[in-house]
Amino acid sequence: MAIFDVFLLEAVLNGLLFGGVLALLALGLNLIFGVIDVVWICYAELVMIGMYTVYYAHVVFGLPLLLAFALAIPFVALCGVLLHWLVIRPILGSEPINQLLVTGGVLIFLQAFATLLFGIDFRNLGVSLPSLALGDIYLPWSRILAAATALGAMLGVWAFLRFTFLGTAIRAISQDRGVMPLLGADPSRIYLLTSAIGGGLAGLGACLLVLQYDVHPAIGLSFGPITFMICVMGGLGNLLGGFVAAFIFAQFVSLGGYFFHIEWGYVMAFVFFVAMMFLRPQGLFARRS
Amino acid sequence: MRRLLGVAVAAVLAAAAVGSVASAQEKTIRVGIIFDFTGPFAAGGSEAAAVGTRIAIDMINERGGVEGYRIEPVWADAQSKAEVAIAEAERLLTQEKVAFLMGVYSSAHCVPMAQKVDSMKKFLWATVCVSSAVLKGKNLQYVFRPQVHSDQYGWASCTFLNDVAKEKLGVVPADLRVAIIHEDGPYGAGIAAGNEQTCKSYGMQVVLKEGYAATAPDLSSLVTKLRRARPDVILHTGYNPDITLFLRQAKEQGLRFKALIGHGAGYAQIDRLYATFGADVDYVFNVDPVASQLLDPKSLAPGLGDLIAELMRRYQAEKGPGDVPPHASMGFNHTWILLTDVLPRAITKYGGFDPEALRQAALETDIPDGGTIQGYGVRFAPPGHEMAGQNLRSWPVVMQFVSGKARVVWPSAIRTADPVLPLPPGHAYAVQ
Repeated sequence: MAIFDVFLLEAVLNGLLFGGVLALLALGLNLIFGVIDVVWICYAELVMIGMYTVYYAHVVFGLPLLLAFALAIPFVALCGVLLHWLVIRPILGSEPINQLLVTGGVLIFLQAFATLLFGIDFRNLGVSLPSLALGDIYLPWSRILAAATALGAMLGVWAFLRFTFLGTAIRAISQDRGVMPLLGADPSRIYLLTSAIGGGLAGLGACLLVLQYDVHPAIGLSFGPITFMICVMGGLGNLLGGFVAAFIFAQFVSLGGYFFHIEWGYVMAFVFFVAMMFLRPQGLFARRS
Repeated sequence: MRRLLGVAVAAVLAAAAVGSVASAQEKTIRVGIIFDFTGPFAAGGSEAAAVGTRIAIDMINERGGVEGYRIEPVWADAQSKAEVAIAEAERLLTQEKVAFLMGVYSSAHCVPMAQKVDSMKKFLWATVCVSSAVLKGKNLQYVFRPQVHSDQYGWASCTFLNDVAKEKLGVVPADLRVAIIHEDGPYGAGIAAGNEQTCKSYGMQVVLKEGYAATAPDLSSLVTKLRRARPDVILHTGYNPDITLFLRQAKEQGLRFKALIGHGAGYAQIDRLYATFGADVDYVFNVDPVASQLLDPKSLAPGLGDLIAELMRRYQAEKGPGDVPPHASMGFNHTWILLTDVLPRAITKYGGFDPEALRQAALETDIPDGGTIQGYGVRFAPPGHEMAGQNLRSWPVVMQFVSGKARVVWPSAIRTADPVLPLPPGHAYAVQ
């Protein structure tokens, strides 16, 4: 086997595109933690709700796909707000482990709720996007779209935080939760806004995932742990760190799976994660304190 | 799911109500039944098997029960998790005081559960899980499985290929390039091992053999390697959603092959595959114990044709029109064998339904070929045998999907259609 061949290049490129999918998922989770200091362990379940929203809007109610997307994103954003209002807000002052347990409870609740509401069947849109063929290399448009959207969302969130008044307020809250209230800012509104943005990003991720995966109540199991791990690897709350970590993780999976058995790709990614926890426990790009 | 839960709850309430009124004059046998009603395995065939099981119990109870005993099922949801399956088995045996256990969809649940139940000297009747590792070399005394086992799946697909390679693909088996991919649990790994052993014994070239986690979110590097390895035939064993992920990514990445042979589980859910992929899954093969409606009733013992028709009627009345998956037949058939052959003998000849009586009765089971609705007979390997507790007369068939319907294409003696391979030109996965 030639080391550098067209299939290797395809594996690298597909790794990049898979990284885009993961980066998009990590973005919302990181934003929430960075501002509110609570990990939404149930983040992938919000994505699942978004996927079901798109499915029902498009397949069951016959709405155009883009309109279904346009409905799903604000709906999941609303779910994010409700999650914060009903679950997170009462435990903001609690120990982090209690916060983790509560959002873990929400995860189980949402899975069980989805099972009862939607049933156990695997559902999909029946939409199949073509692939971009570059000679012998095939790149699925569904993933190109996801990676491009991840990049766009990353830039959009960065620009929002950097150049808008609300973004500045969010950054200020994230840097010092104690002082901002003394200056007259209301953290609870900022938290709600951040939860809406985080939920909206989960909805955006759902729109792109539903083009690639079947939706079922346990879909979160495939992405939740990996997304959380990527966020930790990049430094919880660090948007750029999570973004980069997603691509590193995806390349481990893709190239490890290409050169060895596919399972070894995941093994190597997890070994790298454990090693990083020893070497840089604060994450690849430590969050400024 | 809601309907199933509703039915289950209604059944339990009804049983409780009937029991309170009629307990004085009615004898019952409480049976613990474990399937996955939630999680990914539920839609992969576990629910269908549970429905088939319940239909068998209903029909037996309507006929007066077993030797005067009414069968009272106690349902448990393994939630597609091995640790839950084990805990539920223990709960049913120790707290619910069921007489014995039956069911179990996943081999990953079955392997540890069989060991545990056997060590407790309790009786387990495994109706769906297939991994040979459940029984192979274990010499279990109280675990019996009328179902086909994974070594037979692996053997069937390669033997089928060996039989048709020259005629259909124009190559001798030694020139046939075969790739084996599988989910990495006992089910997938067991069948893949059988594939590799049998295909190599026929001299075929195994160009790739690889496992993956059924929950893996990306299989693109596996598809890339398959493209590089250029197999003529792919032998695939998986659950869901990994099968749909693989087929989707295979199409997106331009993977081409001459034939794809699946091995049960996700590949048995024909309606779901067609709903997702449409004509792209035409001509895909599936190795499984046969869905009983695909057999010619004339090849079976008298009366079994009517039994199959009743199973179909009840299943479709509950689940709606459409294909009745093989798992419904498995759940029904194996429950029927227990309730009409083993249990009556245990009660009449061995004085009851304790594990020892059931064990003795099972070891005397002797149903000839054609004596069950899935065509095969039943005779269990005795203690000391490498496969002690396994039905030695079971066999799978090779089916092929054409226009949304499965047809039996192998073995030749019972086939209802000629196999189509290679994939015809214009097919999404056909070699151009």
